[in-house]
Amino acid sequence: MFHIAKRERFIITFLIPTFIFFSVFTLYPIVRGMHISLFDWSGSSEFMTYVGVQNFVDMLHDPIVWTAIKNDYSLVLGKVIGIMILATFFAVAITRFRLRGTGFFRMIFFMPNIISAVVIGVLWRFIYNPNIGFLNAILSLFTKQPIRTPWLGQEDTALWSILWPSIWAGVGFYFLLLMAAILSVPTSLYEAAEIDGATQSRQFWSITVPLIWEQMKISILHIVMTTLNGSFVMVWIMTEGGPDNSTQVMGSYLYQMGFRQYHMGYASAIGVLILFMSLITTLIFQRLLRRDEVQLS
Amino acid sequence: MKKQTKLFVVMTLTLSLILSIAGCSGTDSSSSKKKSNGLTANGLAGDFEIQYFVGGYGDAWWKDTIEQFQKLHPDLTIKQSAGPKINDQMKPRWIQGNPPDVVYIDGSGSNPRQMMDDHQLLDVTDWIKDAKNIDGEKLIDLMITEPEVYSGKTYTIPLVFGAYGNFYDQAFFDKNGWSVPQDYSSFLALSEKIKAAGISPYIHPGVYPEYIHGGFLFPAIISANGDHGEILKEMGDLKAGIFKSEPVMKALNQLSEISKLGYIDQASPAINHTDSQMLFLQHKAAFIPNGLWLESEMKNDTPADFKFGYIPSLTQSKGGKLIAIPYSTTLAIAKKAKNPEAAKAFIQFVFKKKNALNWAEKTGALMNVKTDLDSSEASPVAKTAMKFYNSDHTLVAPVVVFNSDVEKVMKDATIALTVGKIKPEEWAERVEAAAAKARK
Amino acid sequence: MYPSQPRFSRHILKALSLILLVVWSVAVLYPLIWTGLGALKDNSQFMLGKPWAFPRSPWLWSNFSNVWNQYHFGQYFINSIVVTAISSLLAILLSATTAYVLARFPFRGSQILYYFYLSAMMIPMILGLIPLFFLLNDLNLINKLSGLIIVYTAWALPFSIFVMVSFFKTLPKELEEAAYIDGAGYYRTFFDVMLPLARSGLISIGIMNALNTWNEYIMGMVFVNDPVKYTIPVGIAVMQAEMQYRTEWGPLFAGLLMSMLPVIIVYMLFQRHIVAGVTAGAVK
Repeated sequence: MFHIAKRERFIITFLIPTFIFFSVFTLYPIVRGMHISLFDWSGSSEFMTYVGVQNFVDMLHDPIVWTAIKNDYSLVLGKVIGIMILATFFAVAITRFRLRGTGFFRMIFFMPNIISAVVIGVLWRFIYNPNIGFLNAILSLFTKQPIRTPWLGQEDTALWSILWPSIWAGVGFYFLLLMAAILSVPTSLYEAAEIDGATQSRQFWSITVPLIWEQMKISILHIVMTTLNGSFVMVWIMTEGGPDNSTQVMGSYLYQMGFRQYHMGYASAIGVLILFMSLITTLIFQRLLRRDEVQLS
Repeated sequence: MKKQTKLFVVMTLTLSLILSIAGCSGTDSSSSKKKSNGLTANGLAGDFEIQYFVGGYGDAWWKDTIEQFQKLHPDLTIKQSAGPKINDQMKPRWIQGNPPDVVYIDGSGSNPRQMMDDHQLLDVTDWIKDAKNIDGEKLIDLMITEPEVYSGKTYTIPLVFGAYGNFYDQAFFDKNGWSVPQDYSSFLALSEKIKAAGISPYIHPGVYPEYIHGGFLFPAIISANGDHGEILKEMGDLKAGIFKSEPVMKALNQLSEISKLGYIDQASPAINHTDSQMLFLQHKAAFIPNGLWLESEMKNDTPADFKFGYIPSLTQSKGGKLIAIPYSTTLAIAKKAKNPEAAKAFIQFVFKKKNALNWAEKTGALMNVKTDLDSSEASPVAKTAMKFYNSDHTLVAPVVVFNSDVEKVMKDATIALTVGKIKPEEWAERVEAAAAKARK
Repeated sequence: MYPSQPRFSRHILKALSLILLVVWSVAVLYPLIWTGLGALKDNSQFMLGKPWAFPRSPWLWSNFSNVWNQYHFGQYFINSIVVTAISSLLAILLSATTAYVLARFPFRGSQILYYFYLSAMMIPMILGLIPLFFLLNDLNLINKLSGLIIVYTAWALPFSIFVMVSFFKTLPKELEEAAYIDGAGYYRTFFDVMLPLARSGLISIGIMNALNTWNEYIMGMVFVNDPVKYTIPVGIAVMQAEMQYRTEWGPLFAGLLMSMLPVIIVYMLFQRHIVAGVTAGAVK
């Protein structure tokens, strides 16, 4: 057939440009970033001092780091649960009940996904605004006293108030994925189940879920990763981690420490922690979800 | 050419092409700009870059002043790096050692103390002693507040002088028959009346706790310290135990008290300054801690019958002095300035009375130059404030810049205190711990 | 269970579902409509405490023209389009080649390379922000759209490779083998046979990358500080910060709306293709 050399040359021509590009513009900056985590550096000075793992030791004793980790995982769990329930429900409802207006719903639901997180953050800050936002105005319709809850200013509501727009913005995409997955399930399976008199919920658990499990898994992993790495844009725009650090996530704390409090070395150490958290979490989720998959199929 | 080699070439070329296009356009712009600094027949020459933050004061004064400076030095190529996000945007250039020549240090993401610690600013200790403006007046003699001395050196020159204080609507107070409280106990008594009328006595922007610090907590600390302002300096110097000291605790208890009594508007922790100011203008709240820029910042939204009133502090005991917490934002020259001569000339140009009047008119606030505002178009608030500062009954505290870690902890703790999440003791513990860490 | 019950509960379920779908649609649309209403109001109307109220006439169309005149929205759009289009195309080219090799040409270390890219998906990009700035600066790519294009391309690679590997794996091997038997080389097989087959996957990652790039904010803000080179999210963030100092709620809403509307219109026009594209890659 072909020369070995030819095959190798092909592999190399296809791999090397991508690899170089990626190494230069992603890997190298990240490795540099990890390197910075070993220094005491303000982030604005021209000078840095080597401190070894001191930044990591400090991190263990920093209560805000722990709050941030807790918040990160609250957001991950909240988003996984919220988005998956809503997206699955909508996908099933639209495909299985053959409702009218499918195209309409599909079009509407995806809309928040094409809007930038910055715009969504700004918009929802206004929605939650205690005085000019419409959330309080709508709630006030049902109460005697006008409601003036400062949603983003109270520790017990702030994080949830950030979670909700994240779900709002995320559902559409996963809804599309799951809907397409369900549509690729052979209808004959459902017909057979109908004849056997299986209820909707039976059909859902024993046909739909096992057959779209792969897509559900991908969706969950994708939510986990994007949340751990990306939730900070919303947090930063809506609360900057406040009040009293109650909505701080790792990403926003990194930004706060690196760009507001001038500890870029420490901020980089937080970045390294985020990296490891993401890796471990993804691995754990993959494990958990894989076992289920084996069971069901 | 063989197909596979061609493909390889195409693919690598696509990449290098982008790099080279970018590279080319970059080199020619930098080579054409190589003009020498120094004096020509038309004054200064070379490149000169000014970085300034654009916030509540707007940029009208800057544009105006820089234009005049340009006229004086037509051969100077002036670049203005300005905007509300300019501090974040310019930061990498400071790290790299390629800063602008002059920087106006203001707004989020900027901290003069940090810039000094990072050795980014030019030591102007000797220069500022004798520097004269272009009218021949010594800069030092003109200033209301003198440049801060940090470890024996001067790096920054205060450009804007302002003070925090508490604002109210005089017309609204008159209508309701409320009189402005002159001490803490009458403030409490009045608050009770205001609250009974369905209005919040006090509103503040919880997103920016420096407002309630400047208008309430810090004056209270000084009052509790027998009207001695040094305590604020000691706080700034992070003296051990200072955040647990009696005056601080007394002031924290006052803050905690008005919070417990429900005098602080519920919306406060969630809102920024403009939101709180809008609510204040709508008479949803009676007092607001703020700075002298308030009136100009809100001029488009101020109802016609609104009459701004200003009192520096509300926390003094009977007969105690009013305490004004000053606020200053500074100009500095970068240590690595490429054109320090132009930078110095610019500062000398800026500090003259005419520019100070122009500042007052454009921004409604005060530039750090002693001028007679009465004849100017400065806002009435600025004029009253000026009278307060000149009176013996008012103490103007020293300008203090905090370490940014300690300041952050202090701000967070203050908000936690105002919503009743923590007690004054815990505030003290937190800040004391942060100070101990920062002293290391 | 009685046989009649499923049918009955089915109707209830159906009605319930419909209600929830409608509720969600309102939840999605209303904030956008609210933005539209706010864009025509002045500050005093914001303070009335009736956020759902229609703007009082005369409607303040001037809010739009104010924003349009003060900010270079047209330019932001062009910048965003250029950056998004080129980086998405580049990412497709660079990821498809690698993914194809990883999916079809196992070699020693190919698994390692795959996991290398896979784990890179979890890298928080903010960690590399400052080093990346210096790198771009050394390469003379700061303050240039080309710099942004390169960065966005690089950051899109891991995810694209991940999706494309699984996509190539699902394609039948027979077609390739037939091509080889016909005498086509590796390269021709890839470009003439495999790429067209993988079209839906490519479109899919193209759309996803385009969405991410279009909405990216942090790098856009740090690597570009020349107002005529802002992308839309950066323009919006700057506008938001400035308006906050001036309490210009109406114009701010107008700006938000102007940043959303063109995208929403394009989306509505090509809705079918976009929806198909998003799902094609992941569902196979």
